[in-house]
Amino acid sequence: MLRTLTWFVVQRVLWSCATLWLVFTATFFLMRLVPGGPFQLDRNVSPEIRRNLIARFRMDLPLPQQYWEHLFRTARGDLGPSFTIADYSVNEILGQGFVVSSALGVFALLGALGLGVPAGVLSAAYRGRSVDRWVMLLATLGIAVPNFVLASLCILVFVFVVPVFPAGGWGTWRQLVLPSACLAAPFAAYIARLTRTGMLEVLGQDYIRLARAKGLRSSAILVRHALRGAMLPVVSYLGPTTAGILTGSLVLEKVFALPGMGSHFVDAALQRDFTLAMGAVLVYTLLLSVMMLIVDISYVLLDPRVKIGE
Amino acid sequence: MYLTRRPWFLLVTSIGFLGLFWSALRVGTLAPAEFSFANGADIKSIDPAIVTGHPEGRIINAVFEGLYRNLPAHTLPGYQPDGDPNRMVPQPAMAERYDRSADGLTYTFHIRPSARWSDGSRVTAHDFVWSWKRFLHPDTANQYVYQLTSYVSGAKAFNTSQVGPGDRVEVELPDRLRPYDPFPTGTMLYGVVRRRIEAPRPAMEGLRRAEQDEKLAEWHRRCKFEVDIVPVVRNDDEPHSTPQIDWAAAGERRVFAKQDALADDMGGPLEGHHPTEECLHILPHFDSSVGIRAIDANTFEVRLDHPTAYFLELCGFYVLYPVHRPSVERFGYPAWTRPEHLVTNGPYSIAFRRIRDRIRLQKSPTYWNAKEVALNTIDALALSSQTTMLNMYLNGQLDWIDDPPQTAIPDLRQRSDWHGGVRLGTYFFRLNVNKPPLDNVQVRRALNQALNKQQICESVTRAGEVAARSLVPPGLSDYQAPLCDDYDVAAAQQLLADAGYAGGRGFPRLEILYNTSESHRTIAEVVQQQWNQNLGIHVDLRNREWKVYLDDTQSQKYEISRAAWIGDYPDPNTFLDMFVTQGPNNMTGWGNLRYDEALAGSQQELDPQRRLELLAEAERILMAELPILPIYFYASKNLVRADFSGFSENLLDVHPLHLLRRRR
Repeated sequence: MLRTLTWFVVQRVLWSCATLWLVFTATFFLMRLVPGGPFQLDRNVSPEIRRNLIARFRMDLPLPQQYWEHLFRTARGDLGPSFTIADYSVNEILGQGFVVSSALGVFALLGALGLGVPAGVLSAAYRGRSVDRWVMLLATLGIAVPNFVLASLCILVFVFVVPVFPAGGWGTWRQLVLPSACLAAPFAAYIARLTRTGMLEVLGQDYIRLARAKGLRSSAILVRHALRGAMLPVVSYLGPTTAGILTGSLVLEKVFALPGMGSHFVDAALQRDFTLAMGAVLVYTLLLSVMMLIVDISYVLLDPRVKIGE
Repeated sequence: MYLTRRPWFLLVTSIGFLGLFWSALRVGTLAPAEFSFANGADIKSIDPAIVTGHPEGRIINAVFEGLYRNLPAHTLPGYQPDGDPNRMVPQPAMAERYDRSADGLTYTFHIRPSARWSDGSRVTAHDFVWSWKRFLHPDTANQYVYQLTSYVSGAKAFNTSQVGPGDRVEVELPDRLRPYDPFPTGTMLYGVVRRRIEAPRPAMEGLRRAEQDEKLAEWHRRCKFEVDIVPVVRNDDEPHSTPQIDWAAAGERRVFAKQDALADDMGGPLEGHHPTEECLHILPHFDSSVGIRAIDANTFEVRLDHPTAYFLELCGFYVLYPVHRPSVERFGYPAWTRPEHLVTNGPYSIAFRRIRDRIRLQKSPTYWNAKEVALNTIDALALSSQTTMLNMYLNGQLDWIDDPPQTAIPDLRQRSDWHGGVRLGTYFFRLNVNKPPLDNVQVRRALNQALNKQQICESVTRAGEVAARSLVPPGLSDYQAPLCDDYDVAAAQQLLADAGYAGGRGFPRLEILYNTSESHRTIAEVVQQQWNQNLGIHVDLRNREWKVYLDDTQSQKYEISRAAWIGDYPDPNTFLDMFVTQGPNNMTGWGNLRYDEALAGSQQELDPQRRLELLAEAERILMAELPILPIYFYASKNLVRADFSGFSENLLDVHPLHLLRRRR
């Protein structure tokens, strides 16, 4: 069993490498197809100065040579110097941003799970009753309200009306509360809905009936027997979601002035910061593959019917 | 099996989660600084030779200091009230005084004996020579390099590697320890060029000047140079002294070429059988060809090509600030800019720097004027969202913001902590004069006269902007800008009719290009509507994101393009210089010989009054020909907490941090 698992992981890692390479290649060429390069500066400069600039970032080399140099450097784990934040390498920029985004993401994920799963269970247990309707109404709202609206509302209420939290910035735990709450809200809502659906499906199955027939308490049935089966859709949803949450949220980072990773995706593309944009895309791809792998493995643990390698 | 692997998985996952959780909690607490302000997007660098931009300027002005410093007039010792007390004037900084030769070409700066680096060592004239040489080196590739190359003799040739037979040169071999440093670290050889072995000259006919320059530079890189290398006597006792070069010695003949020329391998081996060696750079010998030198440790001399009335103001511009040679050479770029390695000479040093978050400035005890620096810690926050910075200001987290959201401005202007005022910046439209009917001056004037700029200032921008009838903003002492025609619909209609488009009939559809932004779009819409109402012509709007907009404008793929220019130093030249024929920032295709002559004349002129007259003459031509439509002059939009004094409104909208103090 352990050997099949190892073999499975090795296979997946190889596939991930291939995916990363494809993403690298597509990003490399797409970036260069867009009009206006990194050296299109707000003030036009004489051709000699522009040439000096281009040479400094080795963009004067023939395209294939640039491609291979960039690829080999990346393969060694060096994402190169950033064009826009020139004092730091892309590794350092993404590293510092990732710490912030993941701190935020961990709180948001825990919040989303802590809120969403019980809400879903409750809703399924009281199916059709008013509790169910209220929870599902809230969940629908959570999904429907875009997070910049939610963020603005939160700021209005918790910063200006009842001043308990700072308006933005980074440095103390109090500055984490509002953004992680706003980040968690839509995920909590999704998780609540997924849990409810999963629970309802599982609750109709024979083994639950058997458990009931055996006279187990209904809370024990819900938590110990039903929930595990009901978590499968939630877990598969969590994989890509975690990758997304950990790489930051552009909107919330702007609204709350957080130095996370999310803004790099858009800013680097707009600034034509080729190396930073490439780094951000690759990190996201990597995280995504890792999360998918974890999801696949945890399937086996949650559902005895799933076997790896079959 | 099933049971044995589950604990493993659970353990690993929970350890991972706990690790993340721990690092999340480790955020900890950060004591607030005495003063915090929003500094726009994150800065590119704190290396003065690398950067361009307002946010970078603020930080560099706080941590470094040049020969002179532009400060409000009222901070001058023994200041007598006259005119605007907040007018920015260059004041002695690292230099305590200067002498200017009678012809206005040679400036001699006397370095302040008490000037210190933050490691305690003295700031000397050699530091300036080395820093300016570094700034001028092609590898540094600063886009502001024209701040020296346009004025200092020999600087342009050095920056653009122009060498020919008979020139003394310095050759850098390709043996750098750190290949991408913006300054030579490889072996340097010195010699005299005997011969330039030329690559085939490129065809130049029918090309624009920018393209010709491009071709020439390309050609130059493909030439080989036969150089007599002369011996160098190094003085090992003083590691940073200039090498003693024995120019009279009989040189050793060697041939050098850059990588490109080697790749071509044109011409094959040369007669005399010298193998061609690769070099990274072959530049004019700095010490003997560029007008920058240290007479001794305290005396720094600059020779200019033409008298430059605003040269002191330039010396107070942050790109010309010195850097600490030992630490730059030891750590290289960018490592030397790290707070733990950074050696500075300004009022502040950097305590820490967090990417896209903040830079914490800390008062430097070694600053020569440290007793005048009041605040101990200052935070510069990287913030680009206007709403967020306003929230944080209102909430007490920030003490100064300079870019509140447009919609809030009418309310904010009523507040007592609002600091407005006209800035040295102009918002204008470029007209591509190569695109008919914009080649017709009557059409351009009609477009200008049909614009109600007052309406734009009152209903769109609303922060106290002033409708513009010239390129150069008001407020530069002694300069009276000549004005273009005022808003006059009847006259505009007449002009358009004279041009053959009475009532707008037959007028082609033009397009206004602007970069994605709410306010640019609104302004373009107002203009569109005004032209339609007043002239009966239709223009379309073309919105492009920033880099595409720049590309389209710079390659003149536009008809009408919105533009802005913020002056670097308080002199009309910073604006008028833009529109010399085929200047890099002209981008309109317009050129006028008399304009060029007037501007060139002003640069040679020693008499200040006559110089301004020549500049006014140039602007008169520009305002009559109108390759641009001036729209408005920028206004500054500062909110500063009333607890702090030392913040003064000024034309440059530059606010030295070391002048701030807390009110008691």
